[in-house]
Amino acid sequence: MKTNKILNISNDLRWQIGDGFHDKLTEGIYSDAAQIAQNSVFKKGATKHFRFDRVLDKIVTSKIWGFPIMILILSVVLWLTIIGANYPSGLLSQLLLDTIHPWLKETTISIGFPIWLAGFLFDGVYLALAWVIAVMLPPMAIFFPLFTLLEDFGYLPRAAFNLDNLFKKSGAHGKQALTMSMGFGCNAAGVVATRIIDSPRERLIAIITNNFSLCNGRWPTQILIASIFIGAMVPKGFAGALSTLSVITIALLGVFFTFAVSYFLSKTLLKGEVSSFTLELPPYRPPVFWKTIYTSLIDRTLIVLWRACVFAAPAGAVIWLIANISIGNITIAHWMIEHLNGFGFLIGLNGVILLAYIVAIPANEIVIPTILMLTVMSVSISGVGEGNGVMFELESATATGEILRAGGWTLLTAVNLMLFSLLHNPCSTTIYTIYKETKSVKWTVIASVLPLIIGFVVCFIVAQVWRILV
Amino acid sequence: MQTVTKSACDSCEYSNTSGLKKLGINTDDTDFVVALAGNPNTGKSTVFNALTGLRQHTGNWPGKTVTRAEGGYSFNEKKYKLVDLPGTYSLLSTSQDEEVARSFILFGKPDVTVIVVDASRLERNLNLVLQILEITNKAVLCLNLMDEAKRMEIEIDDRTLARDLGIPVIPTSARSKVGIQELISTIHKVATGEIICKPHRIKNVPKQINNAIEKLCVEIEKEYPNIPNSRWIALRLLDGDERIIEAVKTGEFITE
Amino acid sequence: MASPITYLLVFTAVIILLVVLFYPKGGIYWRLKNSFKNDSKTLIEDILKKLYHAEDGGNSLSTNDIISSTNIRPKKIIETIAQMEANQLINFNNGTIKLTENGMDYALRIIRVHRLWEKYLSEKTGFDKKDWHDIAEKMEHKLNTKQAKELATNLGNPRFDPHGDPIPTEFGEIEAIQGKPMPVFKEGTIGRIVHIEDEPDIIYQQILAEDLHIGSHVHIVENNEKRIVFHSEGEEYVLAPIVANNITILQLLKDEILEENTFRLSSLKENESAKIIGISNECRGEMRRRLLDLGFVLNTTIELDLISPMNNPRSYLVRNTAIAIRNEQAKFILIEKIKNHANSN
Repeated sequence: MKTNKILNISNDLRWQIGDGFHDKLTEGIYSDAAQIAQNSVFKKGATKHFRFDRVLDKIVTSKIWGFPIMILILSVVLWLTIIGANYPSGLLSQLLLDTIHPWLKETTISIGFPIWLAGFLFDGVYLALAWVIAVMLPPMAIFFPLFTLLEDFGYLPRAAFNLDNLFKKSGAHGKQALTMSMGFGCNAAGVVATRIIDSPRERLIAIITNNFSLCNGRWPTQILIASIFIGAMVPKGFAGALSTLSVITIALLGVFFTFAVSYFLSKTLLKGEVSSFTLELPPYRPPVFWKTIYTSLIDRTLIVLWRACVFAAPAGAVIWLIANISIGNITIAHWMIEHLNGFGFLIGLNGVILLAYIVAIPANEIVIPTILMLTVMSVSISGVGEGNGVMFELESATATGEILRAGGWTLLTAVNLMLFSLLHNPCSTTIYTIYKETKSVKWTVIASVLPLIIGFVVCFIVAQVWRILV
Repeated sequence: MQTVTKSACDSCEYSNTSGLKKLGINTDDTDFVVALAGNPNTGKSTVFNALTGLRQHTGNWPGKTVTRAEGGYSFNEKKYKLVDLPGTYSLLSTSQDEEVARSFILFGKPDVTVIVVDASRLERNLNLVLQILEITNKAVLCLNLMDEAKRMEIEIDDRTLARDLGIPVIPTSARSKVGIQELISTIHKVATGEIICKPHRIKNVPKQINNAIEKLCVEIEKEYPNIPNSRWIALRLLDGDERIIEAVKTGEFITE
Repeated sequence: MASPITYLLVFTAVIILLVVLFYPKGGIYWRLKNSFKNDSKTLIEDILKKLYHAEDGGNSLSTNDIISSTNIRPKKIIETIAQMEANQLINFNNGTIKLTENGMDYALRIIRVHRLWEKYLSEKTGFDKKDWHDIAEKMEHKLNTKQAKELATNLGNPRFDPHGDPIPTEFGEIEAIQGKPMPVFKEGTIGRIVHIEDEPDIIYQQILAEDLHIGSHVHIVENNEKRIVFHSEGEEYVLAPIVANNITILQLLKDEILEENTFRLSSLKENESAKIIGISNECRGEMRRRLLDLGFVLNTTIELDLISPMNNPRSYLVRNTAIAIRNEQAKFILIEKIKNHANSN
């Protein structure tokens, strides 16, 4: 073959040239570039704009101000998100859950839908969708645009620059600080954001550990459970402070696990992946405000929301079905809860929680409604809830607490639920995104199973030690 | 016996339908395919949006677009498909982004490659430009962020630059849509052959390497006459690029 | 229900069992796996290598030397050596073992694969320097001649491995290492590091800790039985002679000697500017390419731009762009400081 001749000659020549080929070629190209640039680029005087950039850079990366500025910005963004999302979330859930849901059901039944079909469609599929939208949309619609504004301005690379040394110690990349923060908004979006990490090993680490960032779907669960069980341990005046503190502790525990697992991965599974660090600090650019808001809504919020809806709809159907289809004389849900109770007890949880986490894998948002529905169903509390397979939430935390206590919950169950909510498999939207980003079954499985194992172990140890001590 | 008649554009000079289809680009309904290349952080996505009207997100980050974005526009009754390649500093490394970008330009043979550069940091950006000009003869330099360069009191003589590079140079400020119309019409002229480029070829290559390249070029051209970028293929072979070695083995370059 | 203490005890037992079984390298599972793998082929190849290295260093080995240098059962070694003699890989000469021509060929083939694989690990993977040797030790028994050839072609038929050792060609030719161990040279010698021996591990770890690079120029300023002191790239190093003995130096000719103004980029201070004079050979693969692509090439002017709050990474101004790299990387970039920096106000 003639083509082999080309290859043989090229192999020969490669050997003759030796190691420095890429070096010499790059030097050659850059010296061409320098000549051409010299012919056509003219600089006039010192550059004021550049000075402004430098002054700003000196401040945001200074030893004294670098970290406080970063923490301040992150707190403001998170605070705006959590507080700011309350109001639209309430409105949405009133509209979608309290108004449209009964109307849909009544109307369709009145035009002759069989009750089981209306139940399946609206109590199952519709409710799950509505819940995901009501809980997920507002915080994301606030968080992502804020984040995108910072990104467009050029602050985020500086944050990565400041934090790189911390991340380096656990074998990760400074930019993981940002994908991690993005994970506080939504893990799926955080996983997509790892594209900014250009080193293969560090990118995989960031993808696999993103789930340890407590996402928007889990904050409300943490806050609710903390205020019902942990806040109740102390006098009323301190309740708020203590429950907030416990939620923050859980989030920080997540950060701890991010570092620990990153370290473990970089020393074991990911040892051989290629790693290279460089970080360009681009000039600051004024963000185009409205356009940024608009594109971040389209680009991040709606895409993630759409993916979540695609997964939530069938989950709603499954939840309704297991609560309504009976085998023998008990429903599938009952049967599963009974079988999961043993293992649940071992790790300080119960069958209801485990079942809720199995069926609510598409979105953490519907875990609490599912738990409530299953609890009411399994301990047959009358007068609360909406019936088998209909997820619900209550206005008051106290009433929710009563249901949960009736379901056999103790302080241990609450603490372990908070831990398990942090340490379990990513939601299916995130799992799917991980697969799309890594195109590898292996890493997707590891990213899904690893946190679950950690969750089981941590909950188990807490439960046993608790039972010895208390 | 029946011969399958090729559609008009299958045989026309400016199309590389099969190559593009392999790369997942649908060329139905398109007259010209335009690739958009450039360093990270040069406002490449903003140029993309300005050309297509699409709202692709543009962050102030190196390395935003990893997957390919596509969009389209029409000009002078011709339909253009625009493909946004990942932003890279170079095309010589093994990273996935660079592989995507260089394979697209080499095997996809876009009708025009628009190279977006940051006017305030031209010298650094030329590294990529000079590499792309080794692969393709049909390119337009989009000298973007002119507003920023002006603020930094940097002036650029775009005529000299165009002469040195051998391709049209269009100064733009894509954020305020300055220069976009001119860019569109220049793309058109290059695509239709109204402007013929004579791209700069890298000159400052050490003698030892240059000799090797020339030796190899002779062999490549013997095997594939008419190949426009034998020098680039020689460069990649000397660097041990497995994708190119594979292509030489399978004779992929004969799709002319 | 059993008591929580029982559960915890069972759990702890399971964890301990898993650790004992699978602890990296020392775990029972790995040992068992290794002992099955440690078949006669591997053993023969390891003995051949030992003999080669001994002969290369001008020494010779007896059967006892080989037995005492491994922890494999003596009986097995004696059997293997007998088998090797029958296969005409070795012959005995006054109680010492000598490689036959066949044996020499075989040994070189193994060494070729070992060094090629180290080269591969250094260029195409992210494995740490200190892991290369162990991984290559395993791979050298696995690749056949054809695979070795493919690997070599892929890597561009390299002539040296990352430690500076020559890689034998497929026909068994091997270049001699030039240069001599550092302690041989007199005070005042200027030379270049051409080779760093990666065995024994304890000494190699010490050299790694010193952060010395192959290709660096060194200037020996003190050399006695207690210690060797030398300057390299703007830093001073003090080594024990036994450690320095594993570093091979090639004395430089007069016109090769650069001015003593070579520093590592990591030593550049604020308001200083410098010219890049190269990237160390120790910076390889993707990392090297990335730095070059970003413009860290010969004769580029460079300035320190920003230092992050924890001192690492630092960003440098290269061709009008601020690029942050870690200090560990900056150590690989060699610079020449530009005096009379104009921008000092």
